[in-house]
Amino acid sequence: MTRYRAAPPQTLLIRPLDALTAIHDRRSGQTHLVAQPVPELLAALEDGPLDIDVLLARLAEQFDLVDGDREALAERLAELAATGLVERL
Amino acid sequence: MPRNRTIGGPILCGLPSFTIAQRIGAQDKRTMDTHDQPETAPPATQPANGPANAGRRALMLGAAGASVVVSIRPALAQTTASISNCEIPVPDPGRAGQYIAADGKVVPPGTQGAFAPPGRAFKGEEVKRALAGNTLPGTSYEQSRAYTNYIRRLQQGTSGFTCFASLQMPRG
Repeated sequence: MTRYRAAPPQTLLIRPLDALTAIHDRRSGQTHLVAQPVPELLAALEDGPLDIDVLLARLAEQFDLVDGDREALAERLAELAATGLVERL
Repeated sequence: MPRNRTIGGPILCGLPSFTIAQRIGAQDKRTMDTHDQPETAPPATQPANGPANAGRRALMLGAAGASVVVSIRPALAQTTASISNCEIPVPDPGRAGQYIAADGKVVPPGTQGAFAPPGRAFKGEEVKRALAGNTLPGTSYEQSRAYTNYIRRLQQGTSGFTCFASLQMPRG
């Protein structure tokens, strides 16, 4: 099963900006303005790669998932993989 | 609608206002003093100690088709043709002959588990397809992963960085 890994924390400069979070990726020179659930996803992945089902379960343990389903999470992960913030293994 | 928006230039403009504004309205309104924040993601709420959902922060994963990322990168003048034709050497010429480890680090030749350099630079389009999950031409799956990990580590000032950064821009 496909697993996802967050970018190494030392490569990211993260600054909360109220409802948004700015994430500067030193590797590419890009800065991403992200909304929920991106910071939460990166935090959930910081201990190591996870597949989508385990990740969804972890998020459900920590948060009240208002609209949480596998398809929504898959779409978020695909978006993050396109930016380089998450790597698909 | 693209999965994420990338804006060229140092000034952010053209935010997908509907998507971001909608999500802002639905999120936790707590304010933070950014000067006091460490270089980490905002801390998650502590897990509930009592009944299910008690004391836990709500989290929205987002609707299909919505975007939660707007990317800004330094202004680069790139045309479609130049994106196709730009090249990324692996490794950069200053380290020619060095090997590429599986995690993308440049290591001495013959290092166990590392791969010899491909012998040619990769075109921007080839790298873009590889970053999307395909294999770089003329390479095995493991070689391609090592080379793309090297490319992801590129920093400003290293040969190939500008080409790599330009691949992040959406076309049109």
